[in-house]
Amino acid sequence: MLESLQFLASGFAVALTPQNLMYCVIGAVVGTLVGVLPGLGPIAGIALLIPATFGLNATSALIMLSGIYYGAMYGGSTTSILMNVPGETASVITCIDGYQMAQQGRAGPALAIAAIGSFIAGTIAIFGLVLIAPPLARAALAFGPPEFASLMVFAFVVLSNVTGKSLVEALMMAIVGLILGTIGMDPVTGNERFTFDSAYMLGGVEFVAVAIGVFGLGEILVNAAKPQAQLEQRVLVPRLRDLYPTLDDLKRSIGAILRGTGIGFFTGLIPGPAPVIATYASYSVEKRLSQHPEEFGKGAIEGVAGPESANNAATQSAFIPLFVIGIPFGPVPAILLGALLIHGVTPGPLLISETPQLFWAVVASMYIGNFILLLLNLPFVPLFANILRVPKKVLLPLIILFCVTGMFSVNNSVLDIWMMLGFGVLGYVLRGWAYEGAPLLLGLVLGPKLEVAFRQSVMISHGDFGVFVERPISLVLLLLTLAFLLHPLIKRAWQALPPKASDGAAKGEPR
Amino acid sequence: MGAAISLFLFGAITAALSLQLPLGAPRMPGTGFFPLALGLALMALAAGRGVQLYLARPKAAAPEAPATPAAPEGDGATRRVALFVAGMIAAVALLQPLGYVLSSVLLMLVLLQILGIRHWYASAAIALVSAAACYVVFVRWLKIPLPSGWLF
Repeated sequence: MLESLQFLASGFAVALTPQNLMYCVIGAVVGTLVGVLPGLGPIAGIALLIPATFGLNATSALIMLSGIYYGAMYGGSTTSILMNVPGETASVITCIDGYQMAQQGRAGPALAIAAIGSFIAGTIAIFGLVLIAPPLARAALAFGPPEFASLMVFAFVVLSNVTGKSLVEALMMAIVGLILGTIGMDPVTGNERFTFDSAYMLGGVEFVAVAIGVFGLGEILVNAAKPQAQLEQRVLVPRLRDLYPTLDDLKRSIGAILRGTGIGFFTGLIPGPAPVIATYASYSVEKRLSQHPEEFGKGAIEGVAGPESANNAATQSAFIPLFVIGIPFGPVPAILLGALLIHGVTPGPLLISETPQLFWAVVASMYIGNFILLLLNLPFVPLFANILRVPKKVLLPLIILFCVTGMFSVNNSVLDIWMMLGFGVLGYVLRGWAYEGAPLLLGLVLGPKLEVAFRQSVMISHGDFGVFVERPISLVLLLLTLAFLLHPLIKRAWQALPPKASDGAAKGEPR
Repeated sequence: MGAAISLFLFGAITAALSLQLPLGAPRMPGTGFFPLALGLALMALAAGRGVQLYLARPKAAAPEAPATPAAPEGDGATRRVALFVAGMIAAVALLQPLGYVLSSVLLMLVLLQILGIRHWYASAAIALVSAAACYVVFVRWLKIPLPSGWLF
């Protein structure tokens, strides 16, 4: 504990160097932009900025890229409140009461409480990270290949269970991702696999191309498909002096902020798109606990404070599985893992003890980043809101130009752009099918890790597949996986017993 | 249904290609083992999903009308998306012969046109400014060698 604080102090020393401070600010600003711009979420945003980190050391790179992630959580609330358009998926819930507040002329307090809540939640969650990450990493040293393999299978099933509406559909997406991950060189023997004799394919599927394609380009194509009239939207830009929330607002929000922090922190520790789930959980808790639940949906400030705090806390705690066991539990940490690997850092149980300066500098930068974001999102929020005045007709082509240019700069390869285009079309098609892209991306990034862990396990046990159930940690993880797999079946059987439920409703069209 | 069929085919192709790779023994799984297992799993899940959808079909047959309302706005939408993709394909194909600046100006012009910017001088100005800005950021600032053609 005391040791952790000492490390944290030295982390601040690294994070506060002018260079790292600058990258922290850039990350926070870009993150806010990414959060504000609809059609460009944190996944595509981080992927686009990876090439810009090539000249940096791993610490500065991670400081900037993680700044984009939590910055997007702050920025996402701005469009939700001002335009009823979520800037990214973790602020969908904020639209409900946030936009209602804006309609009643209370956009300022809504924005302010979102920023304050995010700041409190972020700060508490980072403290939690400091407390539990080092001991967890020591515990994770007991993990061998079988435990890692089981944990990854567990992560896929839980992620598939909580994303989208169908477990089977999400699992299929995860498998497609895993299959794409097998393209290239066999990580164990070095054989070529599915390369069709092309040197380009030997390096495998470029995950940046998939990230920008499915999550960036795909989203833009969906936007381009919308009727022209929807591309034009009015924005109300608040004035600075309208921003201050009343004492009553603060009093009503503080409970929601703290509960949202707790909910968010724990959802970050389980597999899934944590920030998104955290907002839904927080909103329903606030609505249930509230003394005036009838105000929810009509501009209740708790409905903004809770979810916005929750998504920020979840963002911070989602770094714990990434740093401690080296396995990302959601799509954005998966992208960060890819970026770390590019920089030659392999996260895992040894990361904190072997490269403490990286870990503690990044953690310290999160404190600083949260403070910067509070500044960016309070006095400067009118500035970001003005960006929304740029018509979407101009914005969409611009983002495409960024995607093409950014993609090229990753490897200076035109083939990468073709691949990104292909995955962009795939992303559009997936959206039409109402399939989720997140499990696919996680599968692609984790695929080689899972395969290596699996094959090593079987080699250790001399071909005995029982190795996965004989080791206690692995067994527990597999039993949990089974429970998650069977849970929907049991639930459906249970519901089928009493009067027949309308089952066909779930099979609706995509939004 | 289309999704289930496409995914089933993708799984089948993966499995078939994996069979051509060394599979190894259980004691020492080879290159083809993991993708084969994944391909088979995908085929099974997609087949299950397909059967599930097929069985659910007769019930939904009567109120199957929702398929049509999507069409009116869907038509123009599909056309716009197709044009978007075609524009990007053309721009990327021209990237090396024309160079970055020229092809990105063209890309912007085409995309702006598709989205219906009325005045050509407005699109031209936006296209020029954004391409130039990207060029400055990526080539001058980030020192990334973008393809140069006969202009830049």
